[in-house]
Amino acid sequence: MKNTFLVCAFLLFLFKSYGQDITGVVTDVSGTPLPGVTILVEGTITGTTTDFDGNYAIAASSGNVLRFSFLGMKSQSVTVGTAKVINVTMEEDSEQLGEVIVTAFGISQEKKALGYAAQSIDAEAITSTKQTNLVSALQGQVAGVQITNSGGAPGQSARIVIRGINSLDPQADNQPLFVVDGVPIDNSTVESSGTPRGLTNRAADINPADVESMSILKGAAATALYGVRAANGAVIITTKKGQKGQIRVNLNSSIGFEDLNRLPKLQDQFGQGFSGEYDPTSFWPSWGAPISEIAKTVPGHKYQDNWNRAFDTGMQTDNSLSISGGGDKATFYGSFGNFDQEGIIPFSTWGRTTAKLSGSVTMSEKFNFSASVNYSNSGGNRVPHDRYMERMMYWSETTDVRDYINPDGTMKTYGNTNPVYDARFSTYEDDVNRMIGNLNLNYAPTDWLMLSYRVGTDFFSDSRTEVTPGPKGIDGEQALSSTGYLEETRINSMDITSNFYITLSKKFSDDWDTTLRIGNDIFERKYDRTTLRGEDFVIPGFYNVNNTKQVFASQGSSIRRLVGFYGDLMVSYKNYLYLNITGRNDLSSTLPKDNNSFFYPSFNLGYVFSDHLTTPDWFTFGKLRASWAQVGKDTNPHVLGATFVSPSVYPLDGQVGFSRNDAFGDPALKPELTTSMEFGAQLAFFENRLNLDVTYYKSNAEDQIIPVPVSDVTGFSSYITNAGEIENKGLEFVLGGDVVKGPDFNWKVSANVSINDNKVKSIREGIDEIVVGSQSGYDGSRVTMKLIEGEAYGNLYGTSYARYGGDPNSIFVESELPIIIGEDGFPKRNLNQLIIGNAVPKWIGGLRNELSYKNFDLNVMMDFRAGMKQYNQFDNFLSAFGKNEYTAVRNDYKVFDGVLEDGTPNTKEVWLGQGESPDGKDYGAGFWRNTYRGISENFVYDASYIKLRSVSLAYNFNDKILDRTPFSSLRISVAANNIILYSPWDGFDPESFSAGAGGNAIGFTGLGFPGTQSYFMTLNVGF
Amino acid sequence: MKIINRIGKVLGVGLVFIASSCDSYLDVNENPNNPEDAPISGLMINSTYETAYNQYRVGDITSYYVQYLASPNPGSSGDTMEPVSHGTTWFRLYNVMTDLTIMMDKSEELGASHYTGAAQILMALNLGMAVDIFGGIPFSESFRFETVTPKYDSDVELYSKVMDFLNQGIQNLQGATTVSIGDDDFIFKGDVDKWIAFGNMLKARFMIHQKATSNYNANEVLAALDNAFSSNSDNAQVSFFEQSINPWSNAARNNANLLLDGWISEQFIEALDGTSYPDVDPRLKLMVGATNDGEFVGTPNGAGRGNAPEQGARSTLIQGQYYTSVTSPLLIATYSEQKFIEAEAAFEVDKARAYQAYLDGIIAHMEMLEVPQAEMDAYLASPAVSMGAAAFTMDDIFKEKWVALFLHAESWNDARRFNYQYKDMTVPANLNPELGGKFIRRLSYPDSEISRNGKNVPSVTLLDRIFWDAN
Repeated sequence: MKNTFLVCAFLLFLFKSYGQDITGVVTDVSGTPLPGVTILVEGTITGTTTDFDGNYAIAASSGNVLRFSFLGMKSQSVTVGTAKVINVTMEEDSEQLGEVIVTAFGISQEKKALGYAAQSIDAEAITSTKQTNLVSALQGQVAGVQITNSGGAPGQSARIVIRGINSLDPQADNQPLFVVDGVPIDNSTVESSGTPRGLTNRAADINPADVESMSILKGAAATALYGVRAANGAVIITTKKGQKGQIRVNLNSSIGFEDLNRLPKLQDQFGQGFSGEYDPTSFWPSWGAPISEIAKTVPGHKYQDNWNRAFDTGMQTDNSLSISGGGDKATFYGSFGNFDQEGIIPFSTWGRTTAKLSGSVTMSEKFNFSASVNYSNSGGNRVPHDRYMERMMYWSETTDVRDYINPDGTMKTYGNTNPVYDARFSTYEDDVNRMIGNLNLNYAPTDWLMLSYRVGTDFFSDSRTEVTPGPKGIDGEQALSSTGYLEETRINSMDITSNFYITLSKKFSDDWDTTLRIGNDIFERKYDRTTLRGEDFVIPGFYNVNNTKQVFASQGSSIRRLVGFYGDLMVSYKNYLYLNITGRNDLSSTLPKDNNSFFYPSFNLGYVFSDHLTTPDWFTFGKLRASWAQVGKDTNPHVLGATFVSPSVYPLDGQVGFSRNDAFGDPALKPELTTSMEFGAQLAFFENRLNLDVTYYKSNAEDQIIPVPVSDVTGFSSYITNAGEIENKGLEFVLGGDVVKGPDFNWKVSANVSINDNKVKSIREGIDEIVVGSQSGYDGSRVTMKLIEGEAYGNLYGTSYARYGGDPNSIFVESELPIIIGEDGFPKRNLNQLIIGNAVPKWIGGLRNELSYKNFDLNVMMDFRAGMKQYNQFDNFLSAFGKNEYTAVRNDYKVFDGVLEDGTPNTKEVWLGQGESPDGKDYGAGFWRNTYRGISENFVYDASYIKLRSVSLAYNFNDKILDRTPFSSLRISVAANNIILYSPWDGFDPESFSAGAGGNAIGFTGLGFPGTQSYFMTLNVGF
Repeated sequence: MKIINRIGKVLGVGLVFIASSCDSYLDVNENPNNPEDAPISGLMINSTYETAYNQYRVGDITSYYVQYLASPNPGSSGDTMEPVSHGTTWFRLYNVMTDLTIMMDKSEELGASHYTGAAQILMALNLGMAVDIFGGIPFSESFRFETVTPKYDSDVELYSKVMDFLNQGIQNLQGATTVSIGDDDFIFKGDVDKWIAFGNMLKARFMIHQKATSNYNANEVLAALDNAFSSNSDNAQVSFFEQSINPWSNAARNNANLLLDGWISEQFIEALDGTSYPDVDPRLKLMVGATNDGEFVGTPNGAGRGNAPEQGARSTLIQGQYYTSVTSPLLIATYSEQKFIEAEAAFEVDKARAYQAYLDGIIAHMEMLEVPQAEMDAYLASPAVSMGAAAFTMDDIFKEKWVALFLHAESWNDARRFNYQYKDMTVPANLNPELGGKFIRRLSYPDSEISRNGKNVPSVTLLDRIFWDAN
């Protein structure tokens, strides 16, 4: 009987009366109405916003608490009594510490209550960067977050790493999870399988103009609720929503131009040939005779300035239109966006078209729902940029590189392949159609209970076509390929996320407030990739697989499922002490059945001592925080055990062969575990004119799941097992201040700096090293990134100068010691692979200045990285081909600085040129080719930079003018991006690197797409 | 309370249902791309194909050492005998040997003795080939993932392993089998007699390598040869496919499209064009291309093409010849090679037999190339070729075997045993200075192996010899 009573009581609870309507006006201290103020009935999902004139109406009953909040204002709570009209005056929040941060599952939380570091950037900070890629828009803005643009190609990927690399696995995705409106989305970068093409990271499918804010959750504490997929942190993206009130229309239109931001120093004196001899058909572009000398006899012979002529001025246009609005019960937001870009390498393009629709409906004070759908189509022609740059190396500097095609369509050349011809005809086009959608339901049967369900899907198809033409069958032609080929790739990826949670809130007394959230999270990803390749065209120029002599097909698919159960308890005491405990249990389909379930907890504590203790007047705010958290990690699908593969060459004569797959997954694999801790302080002084946030963190990722490269003789080449530990620790500083605050002129500064220290603590017994990647160099100067126990991630190994008196056991290049000069008078080479430098920056940071004077806004964003080296493959090639400025020194005599084997100073004079010197000795291929190019040390050097990431100047037309127009707002701005202010680097933009966002082999520039600087003009109109 | 019980039951059943459905929901990790098991015929297909390819891979490295080929560029590392990391070749050799180990296990379980036998013979071939180029390599702790750092076995021990595999293989092939080999065998299409002959031929090959050691017995070699190939139709080879063209054909095609490859060494041209020897060999024009002027001009090893243009002025592999057609076979072991082994083995014991075998070896190769009878007769009639048993020397065997094994990996074994004493052969220009003017004697262990199994990799120089390379 007792139970029946309880059920009845529960039902009664559900049907409790709605209560009366409360109305009122919200104004600021001066009496000006405030539109857009959020009003919530505490403990329910009932909420509304004020209209244009500050009016609101909400259903609430006596005893309910209404909470009024507005960005930049102090939040207020008012208990409903008998009065039906409640007018509220909101005070400006000088502390600005009521800042709301969107955390796990899209839950807004006051930053004050968080026991861990989190940073958020708003729409203005995103759009003022003029970045088309959301990831790039974060550059320099958030402490501890390193963003690197992989190159200057249209749509090229950008990489994001938070607080260092946490995996020893060379193939691991060390990037954070991206979450849009509470639903995780795919941010993978699928590079081309052949020559690098600079493909896009999938987060770039989102139009930055649709984004309201981005929060960066850094530590495991911040992400325990997203589980395994957020082990590297999370980027929580909140998109724009409609507001109650008038329908608003916003049009944003911008045009931009870009050009190469930096060239290496090149020589323009010596032309085609070898050994100082002119040869117009030579493979060698720059080891020949002086150009000026040959010009006397050969008409038209001149330095063509190809390196400037090879790059176009790129152009981009970006147009977005949004319409939003809403009434009491419903709001909507819709937008269209179109972006088009032509890059600086001829024929490189990328574009994106987006459409978004979202809406929310409040059915009653107990039930509301919202949904959004985002469609995008993106893609372009991805030129073979690495090959383009390589062919530029080989191309004669006295032959115009833009004069590349004969009237019959064949390549115009003296012998070498023309880079522009290749870029035009070796095409690779991708076409991505993507749909991201979500549906949210909230039901609050009582004021202490809420049920929420969110389902999201992220689906995309990526259709790629690669064509390299074969010979046209014209006599004497030089074709790009003997056979030509066509490759069609189809990728389909489907993510489904389902998340159900129950929120229980209870205020025990005025001092104690608790919220408990428990839930279930299910994730599934299905991925399919089919490739069809045809080689050897029968009819030249007809690109269809049916027209090829050899056809190859391959297929790969995968499925991954995760089920998580979680709980999250938040307790606050007197609004100054906040405790948060979370626990999560994940089950993963990718792990062995016995080990596929794993639990991990987190604890964090925030203590706002300035609200507890008495502090001096100038001390505005002070908070200490501490957290300890664990997060588990599973592995990739379908890696366990041993399998067989059918090599792609089959079928042959109707037979299909099989071979042992070279990877073996440990059948007893267990989840990896990252434990991290964090301590921090947030301080504000002088009415918040100055604020400081300091964080120390340390994280250890243990039982790492790594495909350990094992000797081929074992029967496998890689063994996927738990094998090692990596540690990251570091400090982050965020400093902000209002330098000038006045009626007309405002100047706000925010700066962040972080330092990260990384160490490989252990690797499995018997494994000496893990090769993360390597890049070729001439004459044995290949540079390799290897991990060894006890050293940091990112060490670059290569050949070096032999040094006198060095420690034979040193694993580092001892560059302070004198160089050993051989009997021939040239420096000697040490062929042992030694550490020349480390490619992970020790220091990163950014500085943002926001200035406004009357109607003018000026935004200046700078960022820097320091304490890292990179292998400049360009420089290696240029020196091998005699193209960089220093190789022009080739008719000089020199006594190399250094000592002979016996330690006595070198006195032998040598000639630096090729062939026979004026004094009659044969120097063969000469110093630059014989010695210099074979020493990796020459090409691994400081790749620090300070960049003017973006600068924009805007003018806002004032109401007086606007009143005479149909517009409600009008803003014009000019901006510039990616201008290198300082870098010791000699070469193209040091930021570009070959691996792309998905790769970990940073520190290799390759012959990648050079960086660009861009200029924009933007018009923003509101109706 | 009944209701409560019922609710409890429903909840209980529900929870069990959720838990069990969760289990099956997560049970999706079976690999959809790669099967967990493969049939022995699938392993046979790939092992025969890859064994032929391995023969090519090694031949492509060693053809520069024995100066069949020369790089068009000066100072190319293959020509000049520099230490090069041949990681792919190493991987492929071990990959095939891993598959063969599995094939032996599986076929033994099934009682498919012919598969076991064929696998043993292919194992002997790949293992022997790997030992011949690298020396001591891991074997006894390999393939079964017993340790991640398998130890190295000595080259002498491994050679006895090779002989064991061949003997066991022949025995298994002579017995009954539950499953017969068929079209899954790219070498002999399931002809077991040919497999047995092949096993005997390989026994002779690996025994003749050891001629300078105390293990050697000429009569054992001759005895093996009695049961080996009886004509060119027995040759162990894999004919290539339109879908996967012969790799030498591919080199010729690339070269025709100015992706330079397959340039012929001056040494080879001059040995056949009447420069080093009195006669013009009728095979030359069937093996390599001529210049635009219809001449045969080689490229000196290590020196590059000098002032010659990329096309038309030097001899290269050209498509459509015996070695370079799209569907040309990759030769694993030929009747011609067998005859030269016989000539060498019989030289001391029965010189007349040796001389006849030598002549038969030349004829067998010429027949393979379809040299017109008149040209064949004319060449064989030359006193420099048919010098008679009395004047016949070991040098003659090595010279003609070198021609008959064009592009084949076996030639480097011969060259080392012969101490590179081919007429007029000199070290290449720009020779790796670390060799001190001498020819290369082995390959260095690949970087991948040094990186992953470094503690076990022996420290060797390129001048350290394989055990059979005694002088």
